[in-house]
This record gives sequence, structure tokens and C-alpha cells, in this order.
Amino acid sequence: MIALGIIFLALLGVPLFAIIGLSALVSFYNAEIDPAAIFIELYRVASNPSLIAIPLFTFSGFVLAHGKTPERLARISQSILRDMRGGIPLAILIACAFFTALTGASGVTIIALGGLLYPLLIKEKYGENFSLGLITSSGSLGLLFPPSLPLILYGLVAQVSVDQLFIAGIVPGLIMILIVSAFAITRSTVSTPTFNWPDAKSALKEAIWELPLPFIVLGGIYGGIFTVTEAASVTVVYVIFIEAFIYKDLNLIHDLPDLMINSMILVGSILIILGTAMGFTSYLVDEQIPMILLDTMKQYIHDPLTFLIVLNVFLLIVGCMMDIFSAIIVIVPLIIPIAQSFDINMVHLGIIFLTNLEIGYSTPPIGINLFIASTRFNEPVIKLYKAVLPFLGLRLMGLLLITYIPGLSLFLVNWIAD
Amino acid sequence: MTILNQIDRFLEKIEHHLIVIILSLMILLSFGQMLLRNVFDMGFVWGDTLLRQGVLWVGFLGAAIAVKQNKHISIDVFSNLSSAYWKRLVSSFTKFFAAIISGFLTWSAWSFMQFEKESQSILVLDIPVWIFQTILPYSFMIISLRFMIGGFKTAFIQNDAGPSR
Repeated sequence: MIALGIIFLALLGVPLFAIIGLSALVSFYNAEIDPAAIFIELYRVASNPSLIAIPLFTFSGFVLAHGKTPERLARISQSILRDMRGGIPLAILIACAFFTALTGASGVTIIALGGLLYPLLIKEKYGENFSLGLITSSGSLGLLFPPSLPLILYGLVAQVSVDQLFIAGIVPGLIMILIVSAFAITRSTVSTPTFNWPDAKSALKEAIWELPLPFIVLGGIYGGIFTVTEAASVTVVYVIFIEAFIYKDLNLIHDLPDLMINSMILVGSILIILGTAMGFTSYLVDEQIPMILLDTMKQYIHDPLTFLIVLNVFLLIVGCMMDIFSAIIVIVPLIIPIAQSFDINMVHLGIIFLTNLEIGYSTPPIGINLFIASTRFNEPVIKLYKAVLPFLGLRLMGLLLITYIPGLSLFLVNWIAD
Repeated sequence: MTILNQIDRFLEKIEHHLIVIILSLMILLSFGQMLLRNVFDMGFVWGDTLLRQGVLWVGFLGAAIAVKQNKHISIDVFSNLSSAYWKRLVSSFTKFFAAIISGFLTWSAWSFMQFEKESQSILVLDIPVWIFQTILPYSFMIISLRFMIGGFKTAFIQNDAGPSR
């Protein structure tokens, strides 16, 4: 009864931290636990060194999104790939993935890059539905690539090494891009390949400072030069430096304070959920709630494969109801004991998790990216439902591959460990 | 109401400055630590601990400001589908509700801080842990207050449009 009431309140739009706080308060009251216990777990999470990476990477993303980075990214990718079959869509996928990985919030990608790239697709006669669908679903494509925020957050909550997660996401992320671009090639209308070297060269020259970013992060971490946290601080300093002094898109006095405040608002909205939820979920785990769920499941599910199918369906629903951050914070601690009993690798679980939630972003009827795109392109949401359908199908295929072939996520991780 | 608004705006200004100062210090400190470790093979043990407390501070200050900009994460099933009148009604209700829960959370954050104060544990550089934890009750209290003000505005002032996500 109480649970139903709380769910109803959540659906009405009461902020999630309040919903979770209420749940924690009610169950702690019933169990006669001091409500101060809500915050104990927050301080356990706060002792994880990777925590510092969250505000630093978020802020870097805001700085990048503020300048003309989207323009440069769009230009470089299209000038190099324009004359390939399916080149423009591929350019869009890569630019969006790159941008999302760095900025984390996928709505930003649609707003910042979508407007630049949509006209290109239309010009190349890709058709309105295809173009809208492509951009709407590309909006969340980069979440599997480092240094995306959801990867770090999953590492924190599940207590899995963020280094390993960064590596694990690369191949699955590329597979998602490849599947969608293979589809794009069949729709391609390019007839006369004319590669324009001077144009490509000048675009490359323009973006030369931003392109190395993912490689600095990854290379630094795996070259053993710095930790994830140090990579984050190097990224911040590097990004501020190039945007302020090389591109001159950023005014240190006028822009920086606002960007800091806005990015910390995002961090705060995540941290407050982390704060109220961690104590509550660890209470639920202590109360053996996941184990009770597991026992019920074990009556119907006997093998990891079936478990993963059920997990996928469940997460897709979660992914279109909840944003990715709260989903990770609330669901992951409860799923982990169950997944462990089915012998699922925790790094692989993370990749499955994020792939699902990434797809959930543009799943009708309520995936948030559908509404963002609807506002951005002035099209009715119903039209977007139709436009994303083929992409949804393709990405579900990718999801199946990623889920049922753990090697895709794990072979690079194991290879580096050796 | 106006005096409450003024206090609110004053506090918000301080919060803005604090975020800018703490985050800047965090960037400098973490970058400095990185340089020290890589170049001179040294570092301060308290550096990382302080940085992590900094994360909580900028984060919870951000959460307090987030109320004013309607940036708190919620499940938005209806707001994209319903009429303006209902939106306003539901929005002011959810704000009042969030204000009440935040009030309770303020109290539990306060007692959490008291526990630490009694245990007299020290974090770094002789600074007791509870000093760092004052941010928790503060931010929940401000969040509660801002939701209350926001709820009133949404309910009684015509032009407030409700959630903007």
C-alpha cells in the first residue's frame, strides 16, 4: 500500500531524491533504525578515489559544450567521411558518440549537434524519417566510451574498477556504431566520390586540439601515467587551456563561473540521489530483499541466459522511465547480488546495464530523447516514434550481441591485464 | 514572503561564490597533486581526502541551487502529456511534498552530523569530520525552503510555468 503510494508520487514528478528519502525514512522508522543511518553509506562512497572524477569530467564537458566544439566536430567528421557511401550518417554517429562521451548528458548532444547535422542529412536526400531517427538515437550513443559519466558512476556504485570499465565499453560501443552505419549505407545516395583534401585538412587543423582528448585520457590511464582521477584533472586543465587560449571561445572571467555553477547543479542532482539512496539500498541488501527476489526468480529461471533476457527487458523499461544516473544508483546495488549468483561478470554487467539504458533513452513512448528531439526539430512526438523504430530494432540486435557474448566487453580487459 | 525571498537570493549568491571558489581550488589541488606525484614522486596524503570532501560540498551546494532551476531529477511521465492547468496543480503539489521530505532529511542529516561530533573523529589536518558534514543539513534545509517557496509561487502566481525539463 505504502509502496504503491510512493510509486504514484514518483510518477507524478516528485523529485527522485525525495521519493527515495521518503522510502528510506519509512523503512528505517519501521525497522527502528536511526534515520541518521541514511547518510552513513554516502560517506563510504565518498571515500572512493574515483568520486573526484565526476565533478571534474562534468565540468570539462560543460566547457567543451559551451564553445564551438560541436561545430568543429561536425565539420571534421563530415569533411573526411562525406564521400563514402553512408559517410554522412557515419560522421554523425562518430561525432555524436565523441561528444556524448565527453559531455555525458545525452540530451545535450541532440541540442548541440543535432541542429548542425540534421540539415546535412536532408541535403544528402536521406529522407526526413531516417534523419530524425538517426539523430534522435545517436543522442545517447557515446555512453559506452570513456570518460563517460555513467561508466564512472557505475564503477562507484558497483565497486568495480573504473579503468576496466573504460576499456570494456570500447568494443561494444563500436559495435553499436557499426550496426547503425551498416543500415545507413543501404540508404546512401552518394553518387560521385570527390574527396576534398584541402577542406579535410583545414577541418583537421581546426579540431587538432580537441581530437586527442579521448587518447590523452585512455593513453594516460593505460600507459600507467595517471589514475582516472588524475586523468580527470588533466582533462579539465587541458580543456580550459585550449578553449580559453587557443580557440578563444571561453572567457575566463565571464563564462567560467556560470559553467562551474551549472555543471555542479548537474553533479548535485546526481549526488543528492546518491546520498539518499545508498543508505536505503544497502539496508535493502542487508534485509536480503535481492535474495528473496532471487529465490522467486529461481523458480522460473535456471540459467544465466534466461536471467539476462529478463534483465534486458526489465532494464529497457527502467531506461525509458528513469534517467541513467538514478537508474544506476537505485537499481545496480539490488541487481548485483542476483547477477553474482548467476555468475555474471560485474564489468560485463555494467556494459549490459549502460547499453540498455542508452537504448531506453530513445524508446517510445516516454524515452526522454524523443521529447528533446521533438522540441529541437519542431516535430510531433508521434512522428519521432515512427522515425526511431528501425534504429531501435538495430540497437536491440546490438544489445543482444553485447549481452550474450561477454567476450566483446571482456577480451580487451583481459588482454590488458595479461 | 519578500524578506524570505531576499534571504534566499542572498544565500544563493554566497552559494554561487562558494562553488566557484571550491571547484577552482579542487582543480588546482588535483592538478598539483598529479604533477607532484608524476614529476617529484611525492604528494600530500590529505590532498585526496580534502578533494573528496570538496566533491560533497560543491555537489550539495549545486543540489541546493538546482531547486531554483527545476533541475532535480524526477520521473516525468505526465508532464509531457497533460494540460497546463493540471501541470501547475501537480507541480505545486510535488514541490510542497518535496519540501516536507527534505525537512525530514534535514533532521536526519543533522543527527548524523551530531553523531560524528560526539565521536570526535578527525579527518585531516586536525579538522574534525563534522565540520565538513555541516553541508548536509544546510543543503537539505535550503532545499526544503526553496521547494516551499517554489510551491507557493507555482500555486499562486499565474506566470510560473512549472517544470521546464
